[in-house]
Amino acid sequence: MPILNKLFIAGIFLLAVEGGYTGADASPELVKNKQCGMCHRFTPDEADKPAPDLFYAGDKFQKDWLENFLQHPEVIRPAGHTRDPGFLRGQPEFSPPHPALKTKEAKEMTDYLISLKILNDGPPLELGDLSKGARVRVKILFERDYSCIACHQSYNLARQPRGGVSGPSFINAGRRLRPEWVYQWLKNPKQFTDRGRMPLYAFDEETLRKLTQYIMSHQKDDSAQ
Amino acid sequence: MNRAYWLITGILLMTILNGCGQEPEKEPPAPPPEVSVPPVQTPAPRAHPVTQETRDTYQFYCAQCHGTEGHGNGINAPHLTVPPRDHTKADYLETRTDEQLFTAIQQGGLSVGRAPCMPSWGATLNENTIHSLVSYIRELCQCEAL
Ligand code: HEC
Ligand code: HEC
Ligand code: HEC
Repeated sequence: MPILNKLFIAGIFLLAVEGGYTGADASPELVKNKQCGMCHRFTPDEADKPAPDLFYAGDKFQKDWLENFLQHPEVIRPAGHTRDPGFLRGQPEFSPPHPALKTKEAKEMTDYLISLKILNDGPPLELGDLSKGARVRVKILFERDYSCIACHQSYNLARQPRGGVSGPSFINAGRRLRPEWVYQWLKNPKQFTDRGRMPLYAFDEETLRKLTQYIMSHQKDDSAQ
Repeated sequence: MNRAYWLITGILLMTILNGCGQEPEKEPPAPPPEVSVPPVQTPAPRAHPVTQETRDTYQFYCAQCHGTEGHGNGINAPHLTVPPRDHTKADYLETRTDEQLFTAIQQGGLSVGRAPCMPSWGATLNENTIHSLVSYIRELCQCEAL
């Protein structure tokens, strides 16, 4: 790990010196100019970088959220990204605010990011609504049986965020993520990352759908958007 | 809605309070009752030695809660109502057999009558790795089961 970390830092430094991401890629000028590739991977074959991978952004994010985030970034990982060299010390080297784009740039960037996919387009996932009873049962799975809350923020009964910080927060997941992607992540996260810090689970079909529904039921209040 | 529904919902809500998501401001409830684990032969000492891979595995997965040095102070720790176990504290770990530690790691805290904030790693780590993590915890506490 430490060696990898040094490589990251060295890599970032080199890239910074060269003035941007220079790999053989098809990313538009905007991505190069804004140096997004200093921190993010836009293709799976680049070396690891200390920020979330974006080569499946089109599978993962809702378009409206993305366009909004690029202009008004919010904190999703309160302890930083898992590949940040300072992650485990609670002192991430990257600290917010995230670089922001102007409206026109954000639109162009969103169109590009939405085009990046690794999953085959399947039929949309029909989840329906969670009944109150089903919601209580899946909450128990989330908070008790599977310990999800130990690493991910959810809401408590007073609608305050609470829960662990090593994984991405779910407090706005219902606006941010596509249900099809959440489902695929829960089914097999290795489709997206070789090795994450989240435990692997072997969920049955019903549990997969219930957990996806539950995660998607998290939304920030409109006023907070 | 009928009464039975609310009764069931009420009971379920109470069950939730035993989850890992209690309100931080409240006093943590008493630990769940000890389950009786059948006496098992502890595996021969250090049959599964600690390797660099063991240490890396601990840093990668366990340190996010137990801390990089095993003191129970990982980045999630302040957000959990039941603190991650301090793996350097002999007085508690002496009272646990290697088998109990193995089961806690493989099947999670609930399986050994401990808090659900300790996830199960049985689908992530193979048995040899889990055995070597038990050896590593014994190294951290410098202790053996009494
Ligand atoms: C200095 C490093 C850095 C640069 C440069 C950077 N980002 Fe980020 N980006 C991050 C980090 C770290 C996060 C995670 C933030 C969080 O989770 O709170 C992030 C998060 C994101 C997310 C949300 C991803 C997710 O999975 O939650 C998107 C989308 C994004 N960045 C796009 C971009 C774009 C587009 C650019 C170029 C305009 C860019 N970033 C430039 C470090 C960077
Ligand atoms: C030990 C900590 C831990 C536990 C327990 C855990 N996760 Fe995660 N989870 C993570 C981390 C860390 C990530 C970020 C990617 C990575 O490193 O694996 C993640 C990523 C995710 C993502 C993708 C989110 C995103 O925005 O990229 C979803 C969805 C998710 N987890 C759901 C769950 C569910 C549901 C459970 C319980 C069944 C759970 N997690 C249990 C740590 C955890
Ligand atoms: C999401 C946070 C979290 C992660 C990640 C985690 N643990 Fe734990 N662990 C806990 C908590 C909390 C406890 C305390 C449970 C209690 O005392 O009721 C605990 C307790 C334990 C115990 C003591 C069980 C007992 O008999 O009292 C062992 C052993 C242990 N963890 C090993 C590990 C190992 C090895 C890993 C990595 C593979 C790991 N843990 C990852 C939270 C975590």
